[in-house]
Amino acid sequence: MLSPWGAVFIFLAVGIVFGAGGIATSFLVHPRRQYASKYEPYECGMETIGPTWVQFKTSYFLYALLFVIFDVETIYLYPWAVKFQSLGLFAFIEMLVFIFILVVGLWYAWKEGALEWM
Amino acid sequence: MNVDLSLLNPEIAISILGLAVLVLGLIIPKESRHGLGWLTALGLLGVLGLTISGWNNQGTLYHGMFIVDQYAIFFKITFLTAAFLVTLGSMRFVDDMGDQSEYYSMMLFATLGMMVLASAGDFITLYLGLELMTIAFIVLVCFKRLDGKSVEAGMKYVLLAGMSSAVLLYGLSLIYGVTGSVTISEVGRAVAVTPVPALILGLVMLVAGLGFKISAVPFHMWAPDIYEGAPTPVTSYLAVGSKAASFAILLRVFVAALPGIWANWTMLVAVLSAITIIVGNLVAIPQTNIKRLLAYSSIAQAGYILVGLVTASEQGIKGVMFYAFLYVFATIGAFTVATYFYNVTGSDEIKDYAGLSQRSPLMAVVMLICMLSMAGIPPLAGFVGKFYLFKTIVDNYLWLAFIGLIMSMVSVYYYLRVALVMYRDEPLDNSPINLSTPVAVTLIIAMVATLFIGIYPGPLSQVINMAAHSFFMH
Repeated sequence: MLSPWGAVFIFLAVGIVFGAGGIATSFLVHPRRQYASKYEPYECGMETIGPTWVQFKTSYFLYALLFVIFDVETIYLYPWAVKFQSLGLFAFIEMLVFIFILVVGLWYAWKEGALEWM
Repeated sequence: MNVDLSLLNPEIAISILGLAVLVLGLIIPKESRHGLGWLTALGLLGVLGLTISGWNNQGTLYHGMFIVDQYAIFFKITFLTAAFLVTLGSMRFVDDMGDQSEYYSMMLFATLGMMVLASAGDFITLYLGLELMTIAFIVLVCFKRLDGKSVEAGMKYVLLAGMSSAVLLYGLSLIYGVTGSVTISEVGRAVAVTPVPALILGLVMLVAGLGFKISAVPFHMWAPDIYEGAPTPVTSYLAVGSKAASFAILLRVFVAALPGIWANWTMLVAVLSAITIIVGNLVAIPQTNIKRLLAYSSIAQAGYILVGLVTASEQGIKGVMFYAFLYVFATIGAFTVATYFYNVTGSDEIKDYAGLSQRSPLMAVVMLICMLSMAGIPPLAGFVGKFYLFKTIVDNYLWLAFIGLIMSMVSVYYYLRVALVMYRDEPLDNSPINLSTPVAVTLIIAMVATLFIGIYPGPLSQVINMAAHSFFMH
């Protein structure tokens, strides 16, 4: 009879065979023909136009970061709001402290110009 | 639920201090931000006093998620002392860099992370503290935005810290999968019953993840590059605080959660400790940059501290705590000299330290004493620390004690090489180096503490006995 860890072992073995097997089979059967476009980074894609080192504005990143902070805040606010009646004053003050800390962060980001689109 | 919030006083105080420094930086004009360094230093001193006054106030919070015992309090005192000394010794350096409020608040949040880590009673709190500390350090490491080396160090730290966190989390999840609990004390009970292969795998991953934080060989590759690239005060805090906090949690996890499979990890830790001592000391020999030399020496020190974990006894824990505490003074002393020297001359090369004894006798003597303490020369603190550590293993692991002894002798060579340059060589530039008052105070504190603990270790030893004893109370 199989022990519970035996199942894990079989899972692991099948996982390795599945991954390594594919690469090995492909290595054995694939045709070996060399020509220029074989050495392109993306053989099947479009040829790139212009330089590839395009720079993105970091403002995107800052906005996203600020959004995530307040997005995650909602997750914590939600269960507290549902249980608001039974939790009472202590939880209310705790939540105010939590929001205050986030607001300080927003204030900081605002003052440092993270919200300006330069 | 009744929560005794007074147990959290130090953490609350330091959060308020961190936020206050950040907010003040927004309000006050750029020219008058020099005062923030003093505010941070005095605030840290206040929090330190608060922590010490809560020495007898022990307990656990949130169903064992947060443990406040004298063991944790002692480590918090260690971190706060380190943060205070680093702040005091680096004010001029930070003023030159600019952005004081960000620097000091990040420093304070890193300290908060360490304090949470020392008190962590379950894996979630552990991870929270660890990440708070690490993320704050990532910002600090690449704080010199315009210096390529600093940015490179920050990038390396992001990638490697991310990877070590992943390994650590995987290890923790395996342990959780086997024992069905994330609370350290419950894991400890469950492990005693069921040693299974997955647990051993989790254990190895835990060693790898935390081994990265304490820069134990073979997980040390990041340390020299990041220590060299980061601003020097950050390096000293990284070498002291991050390492001490990681040791605090390493002991907590291994001795409180995994004593049931002690037989499986004791040899692993002993071998890790041995290769860390050997590699750290041997690679330090050819270094020409003072920060790289100190980085390798701090790798070797991590190896010595790991010795205390091998026996997982109260004596071993005492050795680790003692060494971590005195290591703060020796390392910060040496790094403060390096910071100030860099401020004046713009160089980190050992050959430029020529004739430092003539240019600034205090800097030279502090460097000498700190280095001899790290080497473990008798009248200094390092000797007592090594004595407590190696005393625990002479019965069962005599070979490890021998390696430690021989490598300590090797380390004297490269420490004294720096001393030789400072005292024998003629200075290229004869101008004396004038120390600013806060730096002089930091250096004198570091020197006096190193001498005092070495000559009269009794009182500290008794305090640590109490703290190590409290570790096994619950």
